[in-house]
Formats: sequence, structure tokens, C-alpha cells
Amino acid sequence: MEKNKKTKDIPETARQRSNIYGLLTLIYRAEVTKELLKHIRDPEFLSVLSDMGAKLEDDFLTGPEDELIEDLAVEYARLFLGPAKHISPHESIHHDTGDGDWGQFWGKSTVEVKKFIETAGLEYKSEYTGLPDHISVELEFMQEAARREAQAREENDSEGLLYCLKMEKKFIDEHLAKWIPIFCDIVISQAELPFYREMAEVTKHFIEFEKDEINKYISEAGTVLSPDR
Amino acid sequence: MAGLNRRNFMKFGIASGALLAAGEGLKSQALAGTVKLQMGGKDFNFKTGTERKAIPTACWSCVTRCAAMGFVEDGRLVKMESNPESIRTLGKMCSKGQSGPNDVYFPDRILYPMKRVGKRGEGKWKRITWDTALTELSGRMKKLRDNGHPEKFMFHYGRMKASSSKLIKSVFLANYGTGTISGHTSICEGGKWVAQELTWGKHYDNWDFDKTKFVLNFGSNIQEAHTNHIPTSQRLIRAKVERGVRTVTFDVRYSNTAAKSDEWIPIKPGTDGAVVLAICNVIMKNNLYDKSFFKFIRATENVNASADEKISALKSHLSKYTPKWAEKITGVSASKIESTAKEFAKAKPAVVISYRGAVAHYNGNDTERGCQMLAAITGNIDNPGGRCRGIGPHWKYPKGPKDKPKAKKLKLAHGFPGTVAYPNHGVCQQVLPMIKDGKAGRPEIYMWYCHNPVYVNGDNQGNREVLKDEKMIPFTVTSNIVYDESSKLADMILPDATYLERWDWEDMVSPNQVPEYYIRQALIKPLGEARDLGDVVIELAEKMGMPLGVGSTKEEYVKKSHEMTAKAVKGFPGFDYMKKHGVWHDPNAKPKYYSHKKEIKADKLKDAILDEATGVYWNPKKAHAKNPEKGYAETKKAYKGYVGQKIGEKVYKSFPPDKVNKSGYLELYSALLKKKGFAPLPTYYPIPEHEKMKPDELHLTTYKVAVHVHSRSTHRKWLSEIYHDNPGWMNPKTAADRGIKDGDKIKVKSPIGEIVTNARVTEKIVPGVIAISYHVGREESGRYGSGRKSPVAGGANDNDPDLKNKFWDTYGMHPNWIIPNSDDPINGQQRWMDTVVTVTRA
Repeated sequence: MEKNKKTKDIPETARQRSNIYGLLTLIYRAEVTKELLKHIRDPEFLSVLSDMGAKLEDDFLTGPEDELIEDLAVEYARLFLGPAKHISPHESIHHDTGDGDWGQFWGKSTVEVKKFIETAGLEYKSEYTGLPDHISVELEFMQEAARREAQAREENDSEGLLYCLKMEKKFIDEHLAKWIPIFCDIVISQAELPFYREMAEVTKHFIEFEKDEINKYISEAGTVLSPDR
Repeated sequence: MAGLNRRNFMKFGIASGALLAAGEGLKSQALAGTVKLQMGGKDFNFKTGTERKAIPTACWSCVTRCAAMGFVEDGRLVKMESNPESIRTLGKMCSKGQSGPNDVYFPDRILYPMKRVGKRGEGKWKRITWDTALTELSGRMKKLRDNGHPEKFMFHYGRMKASSSKLIKSVFLANYGTGTISGHTSICEGGKWVAQELTWGKHYDNWDFDKTKFVLNFGSNIQEAHTNHIPTSQRLIRAKVERGVRTVTFDVRYSNTAAKSDEWIPIKPGTDGAVVLAICNVIMKNNLYDKSFFKFIRATENVNASADEKISALKSHLSKYTPKWAEKITGVSASKIESTAKEFAKAKPAVVISYRGAVAHYNGNDTERGCQMLAAITGNIDNPGGRCRGIGPHWKYPKGPKDKPKAKKLKLAHGFPGTVAYPNHGVCQQVLPMIKDGKAGRPEIYMWYCHNPVYVNGDNQGNREVLKDEKMIPFTVTSNIVYDESSKLADMILPDATYLERWDWEDMVSPNQVPEYYIRQALIKPLGEARDLGDVVIELAEKMGMPLGVGSTKEEYVKKSHEMTAKAVKGFPGFDYMKKHGVWHDPNAKPKYYSHKKEIKADKLKDAILDEATGVYWNPKKAHAKNPEKGYAETKKAYKGYVGQKIGEKVYKSFPPDKVNKSGYLELYSALLKKKGFAPLPTYYPIPEHEKMKPDELHLTTYKVAVHVHSRSTHRKWLSEIYHDNPGWMNPKTAADRGIKDGDKIKVKSPIGEIVTNARVTEKIVPGVIAISYHVGREESGRYGSGRKSPVAGGANDNDPDLKNKFWDTYGMHPNWIIPNSDDPINGQQRWMDTVVTVTRA
């Protein structure tokens, strides 16, 4: 019974994980828009952030909207776009592959990420002009993967589920966890506005949390699967 | 951030979800599509992080040739699966198919052309270039042809099908001018095919398990080995599991097919025919036959006999084959025969199935004819759920130059003169004995392909002596992937591409009466310098100054065949589609049954004449008949002009002849057999050797296992890991009489030799028999198959990490050393199951 209950909860978990990846995708994809700001300022959303320990200062919550949008855009550019020294949000810049093939654009990781994502059945939209290993793309991929995982769970597709979880684990282990915490630490140290600092904190901890939790999901899925195999 | 825990993350997830759901304007996606969990079409290797490319192709391990999918990762073939789109295989694949990558990468594979140094068979080799190899071979071949003796080039193949056969045999060899060609069918199931050609015409019976209600099996090990294994075995299992279809298996051995049957009925070797005839007797005597089908049956000399006359003739003929008579011969109780007969006749539809266990005997021809009779008298012929005529695709293909020379040939492929009445599928086991004999001439060049003539025929020692003798055969050459018992006696070895490295269109029979077109794509480039013989013959022809004009590669040949087929077959989607999907069938096609009922309209008869003696309408022009007045039966290859069979006042397509001039009836009465001195109606012939057996003698019987391919798979480590030893099965009673215990070393002696092996004492074999499988017991075949490394360049890679895991050091004992080459006198089938032996403790 206990096991059944546990597995029943998990589709929901997969959905929520997908949502988190979705939100983080938005945050890193581009500058904060008015609409996004409106949703972030929603009291319910803020209280969740606050429960997690993310502290957004009063002026973020109450200041004039247009000004805040402007400040965030400047901060976004300073942190992630340049043209001066910035923290490039691409894996190949931060992921030490151990063979010297990193630290610049379109490195080994870029190729791997692109191949991985395309092999999983997704394609880069022609209107997306960024690089394949931009942090927001990697997060978006995980959003889709977790969404697919939830579907497999709902359809009781145990083999598909295990496949999906292993795919997620591989992507987390070999990509996200290899560089996003390092990237986030730099963002945390360099951010001037609390929003990006706190979001980097959330991102870093979420990825670390995921790296641990995905093993549990796999072992649970394997246990559920084993009597039928 | 102390609050970053599972609970808060879930709350964060919900809040994020609400935010995402609310904000239509927030969508900013870089990625399109959905994540696919690919289980059959695409794949991803989690170990190496590499994309796997899935390429549709076709297996070649056994002759079933299942549509398949190869997974290639960074240019390396890593996995074989079935093609889920195939209507034949329904996405299933056996262990042989899955072991495909072993065939490509086994460490003893031959990767370069090799030329012998020193005496033939001495085992000394040097590497040569392809150019040197083909210059020498084409030079020798051209010299023969220029001297007017292309027939002195003999080509002997083990398996060559579909486009490979068309390109190599119908285009290359035909253009060169040799007809000295032998296949291998008589050591397989050629006798069954001849018996079918003598009854219903073109061979191949498909068993319609999807719709049958009862399965009666004589000596087919369909669950482990069949020429359409995976497509049919799974359907039989499905019929049993989903519809409770009963299966009754007669066999001397408790095979896995017997084990999966509802009843295993042990029977004395070589006596299946007696049971079949007794079953027919019960059905006729009790009037359980289907009278309506008798319209299409020939059962008397008179081709215009009425149904009642035919019934009466059969009743009379069968009256001596009573269940009590059969009981004495077969060991099967009369009551079991009686009840089985009634069950078969009443279960409509029912299917009688048969294979080598029943057919590879002295009397196999009439056992198979008896099975045809059983199906015919109960109306279970070409009907849903019965014994159906095989349906395959009809590819079109380039035939090469129009003006081909008239083929010259040495008569080596059809047995010693006068020994076999209808060797329609050759008598290949006698090729080497006939070369030794010399009366039919000897080839100067003997080339073999996908074949191992020393090992796969009977009398291995005799075969070896002929092939080794440079005086008998001056030049020997093979195209092979592995150093084996025969290639060690070659003067030149050409490294063949494996089936996973070459192109073909394919055409095996469908189990559901709807033809499936499918292809074999090269999954990777051939390893080393290996080349497909299809590509090689195109170059050989160029070197001899006789270009084939079919494209410069086999791939082009296959592509051209697609273009031609697309013009001829409605809806056929062409090469690009086939490369992507691997398989195609007409979605509107209905399963094909009852084609004999088709009436031939008057306009189709306008160039045909009626042969009164047989009732056959035939077109003498189409048969190239010079003297049609001799009549249909007496005109050479008149069957090629067959148009229809007159039955009553109408003309039907009925059962068109193939390879022999039979009438268009389903001939239970065979005027052709009568002419050759055999009984015209299916008859029981006791096996001469068995009649003379002494009390201490045993029957030697052989069998296939599920995980090996004839003589061509022991180098595949995944298969040899499963099966690498073949002790002789003996019943406890038989063993006890000889003081033999399980595991004892035993000597098995036949009139031509003896072998030493081990005994496996088991109830799974009838008393009086020793059963020894083949496949294993290899002198060569690499370190996984024989424990020996091949002494050739290119192979011998000692880095295969599985070499450390190889736990076995027993390699079995091949029984063919003590089985003579001997033929069914009607059809030339090698009599694998008739050898009499003594067995003693060694």
C-alpha cells in the first residue's frame, strides 16, 4: 500500500518539477517582461518564494513597474549579455570537459547538448537565435522531459518511465550539474539586484536537489517495474 | 537558503505552474516538439551519451530473413532489433537476429583477401590486394570462357536469395555462361518442395495459424527452427494462448515444439508417413472428407473422374493403411491415430504441418505427399486456417545484357545419373562425390559462397579429401567472413561483407497471405577490406570485358529494382520510402486464398491448346515447344506454357505446375511418379536400412537448436555462450541396455565412421534412438566456435574484453562425419535421419 501511495504522488511531482524548469527557463531566456513581473509580484507566488528563503526586497515588490523593468533589463544585460565582461550563460563556457575543449563558444558540450536534445525528439525552432547550450534551452529541455515523464506515469508506461528518468538523469549528471551550480555561484557573487541573485540561489539548489532526487525516482520506478519483468 | 526542501520545491512548482498557465504572453520557446521515448525506432545510448541511428534492414541469420532495425552509434553497429512496422515479424526478433553485431565484430573475422602459400590446407597464407585477387580470378575465369569452357567454373552456394541471387546467378553467371551451379536445398528441405511440386505445383506451404482451429505436426520444430520461424512461431503461440488452438506433435524427440504442444506423440523414426496414411484412411472410411474439394483433386489415372470415383479410389488405396497396421510400424496406438484423425477432420479449419523430421528420410517424399493428401481430402488447402500456398512480393529487377550465351554445364548438381527421379532442387550432397567420381567432368575452378561444403554435407571426411586434392580441383576460391572447415581448403579467400554491411531487396513468404516488400540496407561500411560478393561480381565482369550494365554497385542494382517495381506494382512507394521504413505492403491487399478457384476466361485460352490426356490447356509457344503434338506431358518444360485445367466444362487456374509437367489438379495420383516406377498414390515405403536393423543398433537423428544458424553462427559469442555442446540424447532404457550413464563418454559408429561424444540420458527421446544436433563441433570458426584463432590477417583481435568472460572450453561433436551422403530416390533429399549406428561406452 505504502509503495502504491508513493508512486501515485509522483506524477504530480514530475509535473511540479516541469513547472519549476519552465519558470527558470523564462527567467534566463530573456529580460523580465511586464507580464512576468506581474505574476512574480503576485502575493501567493511571493509567499512561496519567501518560504524557500528567497528574499526580494521591498522596492522590488512595491516600486514603480516601468522603472523596475528597466533596472532588471540592465542587470540582465550586465550579467548575461555584455558587451563588457559578463557571465556567459552557456554550458561550453563553464563545463570543464577535462580535455581542454571548453571555455569558449560552441565547444564539445554544445555539440553534445544539441545532439542529446535532437535525439530525444525535439528540434531547435528556427526563430530561436541563441546557441544550443544556453542555460534556458537546457532548462526548457528538462521542462519537456519531466512533462513527458509525468505522462508516462499517468499512462502506467513503466518502461517508458524508466527510459525517461534515465534520460533526465543523464542530462542532469552530464550537463546541468556540471556547470549550472558553478555558473550560479558567480551570478550570486556578481548580482547587484536581489532578483537574479535569489533566482540563481534557487536554480543552484534546485539542480543539486534534482541530482540527488532523480536517483530515488529511478530506484522507485525500477522497484515498481521489477515484479512485471 | 534553509527553505529549499522537497516540500517547498513542490509548492514552488505549483506556483510556477500557475504562473506559466496564466501567462500566455510568457511563452518563449526555443524548442519544438515533444520528448519521445523511443523503444523501436530511435534510440539513445545512456552509457556513451551518443545518438543511435536506427536504420531499417533485414536479417540474414536464417532464411526467414526478418525485417529488422540496426542501431548505429558513431559508425558502430551496437544493436539489432526487429522492425516494428513489419507485418511478417510484428516487431519480434530471435536471438540469432539479435546476435548480428557479433557477426560483424567477432575477433576472427577475415578482413583482407588472402592467398594460400604452400600446400592446400596447410594453413599458410599471405595477404593480397583486391586488385591482385580479382585480376587472378578474372584471368582464370576469362581463360576458361575464351577457350569455350565456362562450365568449368563451378559456383556452389549455401544461401543466395532475392537480389543477391538475381545479380550473381541470373545476371553475372548467366552472362559468363556457366550453368555448373549448385545450391544447398537438398540438404535442407528440397524433398518437401519436390513432393509439393508433384502435388500442388509451386512449392512453399504457409500455415495459417491466425485462423486455424487445430494444428497437426509431423516433424516440424517450428518453435525453434523453421524457414519462416519468427513470423509463424509467434502466430502459433498466439493461436494457442488467445484462442486455445490445440496442437498435436508427432516427433521422435521432445523438442521445444513438442513441449509447447498440447500433446507430444512419440513415434519411431521414419514412420510418420504410416500415421499420415492411417489418418487419411480413418477420414475416408468414416466419410469425414470434404467432398467439395475433390473437384480439384486428381486421384485416378482418368483425369475426368467424378468426385465419387475419386473418393472410391482413395478409399480403396487407403484401405490397407489401417490404424492397427500403423500401430505396429510406428509405435503409436491405433486408438490415438483414430481419435487424432477424427479431431483433425472435424476441426474446420485445421492445418497439417510437416518438416525435416518427417521428410529427410528415404520415404520422405510420400510422407509429404501424404500430408498434402490429408489437407486436400479435408478441404484444408489454400483456405483461411489451412495449408496455404506461400505468398511473397514480386520485385522487378534488372536482368543485365539481353544476349546471354547459352549456358554450358557439367552435370554435377543433380545427383549421379539415374539415382533420383525428380531432383528439382538439386542433389547438392553429391557434388563433391561426383567430382571425385569424375564421370560428369570436373571443374577447374570451384567457388563457394555462404557455404561450407565440407561441414554441412554428410561424410565430412570424404568431402575434405575431394576439396583438398589439387588434382581433382585445380583452383578453389571462396567468399567468406570466417575461416572454417572449407575455407581452410581454399586457394584464395575473398573477405565477404556481412549481411549487415550490404544491400538487398528481400522477398520471403508472408505468414498472413499478404505480401511484404522489404529491404536490407548496409548499416555500416564493411569492416577492413571486406566486400559484398554482389559488388565483386560487377567488377569481375568488368575485368573480363563483359560489363553487366546493372549499375556499378549492388546498392545501385537494388535502387534500380525499386524504380522498376514502382512502375509495376500499384502503390509501391519507391526507394526513399523503403530506406526510411524498410518494409511496405499494400494496405488495401486482402489475404490471398483459394486462387485455384479462379476461372480462366475464354480470351485467355485463345493461344492455348487442350491436352486431352491431362486436361491441361497450355500454350506451346510460351513453353518453346518444338513439337507440341507430342503432348503436354511429354514436352520438355511444357509446364511453362500452362494456362489452366479443364474441370468439367470449365477451365480453372487450379494448381499450376512448376518444374514438372503435372496436370493442374492437386495430384494425389501422380502420373509422373508412375512413369518413373513409383506408386502414383501416396504410399508407405519402409526404410531399407531400418528394415535390416540388428537389436543392438540405434537410429541416429539430428536436429537444429533455436540459437544457432546451420554452420554459420558459432563464431557469434552471444550464441555460443548459450549453446556450445551437443551431447547425444538417449532414452534411459536405451542407455541402461548399454551400461551408459548420463555424461559418459560414448562411441557412435556408423557404416562410414565413428565419433566420440558424451551421452545425455533423458526421457525426451524415444527408445532406440540417439539424437545429436549439429551447428557445433567445429574444427575452425574462430575462438568462440572452436577455441582456435583464425590464422589470417585482419582478424585476431585479442582485445575483445569478452574473451576474459568466455567460460566454456567444450565445443561439441559434429554428427555429419558419420552420416553418409545418400538421397531420397524420388526427390534427392539428403536422408539426414536414416543412419543406423551402434553406441558403446568409449
